[in-house]
Amino acid sequence: MAELDEIIHQPLRLRIMAALNALPAGTGLEFVRLKKLTGATDGNLGAHIETLARAGYVMVDKAFVGKKPQTTVTLAAPGRAAFARHVAGLQEIIAGAAAKPPEP
Amino acid sequence: MIDHLEAARALDDIEDITRRVRQSQLYRLSSLLMILWGALVLAGNLVTYLTPVYADKAWLAVYGLGIAGSLVLGATEKARSGMGSFDVRSLLAFLMFFAFGFFVETIGHFGPRQMGAFWPIYFMLFYCLAGLWFGIAFTIFGLGVIVLTLVGYVFIGPAFPLWMAVVNGGGLILGGLWMRRS
Repeated sequence: MAELDEIIHQPLRLRIMAALNALPAGTGLEFVRLKKLTGATDGNLGAHIETLARAGYVMVDKAFVGKKPQTTVTLAAPGRAAFARHVAGLQEIIAGAAAKPPEP
Repeated sequence: MIDHLEAARALDDIEDITRRVRQSQLYRLSSLLMILWGALVLAGNLVTYLTPVYADKAWLAVYGLGIAGSLVLGATEKARSGMGSFDVRSLLAFLMFFAFGFFVETIGHFGPRQMGAFWPIYFMLFYCLAGLWFGIAFTIFGLGVIVLTLVGYVFIGPAFPLWMAVVNGGGLILGGLWMRRS
């Protein structure tokens, strides 16, 4: 039975997780870059990152680069595992639909 | 529970963003390389124009520093982002690229002016080809420099190295800065 993750399923959170999952473990993306990649607004992105962080799926690191504040978001190990399960669930749904005989 | 169409859309979304992240990483490294090569090529052309007697030595230094700098930038970027970019194959590719260029230059008996046009066009050919796989920005930039190089080769007289300092050196620097923002 396909197991989908309710937290990851939301479209913007799915995009955030997919972007972070595309990087090697331990490597993060700056907030500005993530915003550009996902096409989200500041507030929207911040809120969804917070949801993912509360679930333990991502880690948020705030630091200063020179005088500029920089927020970096990194996928945590439980997040990577949850994302893999979610993708497997999506694939299972598609495979299930393909295996069904066509309706008369 | 979602249906298979929604699931397919979600997977397409994941694939799209994964491709964009990889492209963004590639653009980031490419922009640094373009700025490095742009500065070197600008210097090489200025030396060629101002003191032609040192042109050969200047270009050898440009290629040496360019290759070494590219490897250092590749290694630095790998350490920063964790993504593999430069390795022994990259070094071999660089060496083959320059070996073929020198071969063509030798059997073609190119003079300084021909070399000034040949190398940027040869270099940009690879940008055009890379664009077919890694993003149209490379192709647009490559074609732009090729056209401007040919315009200079045909219409600009003794100031051709100066033209190339601006078109090729300046073009690479501006292209790198533009790619950094993409």
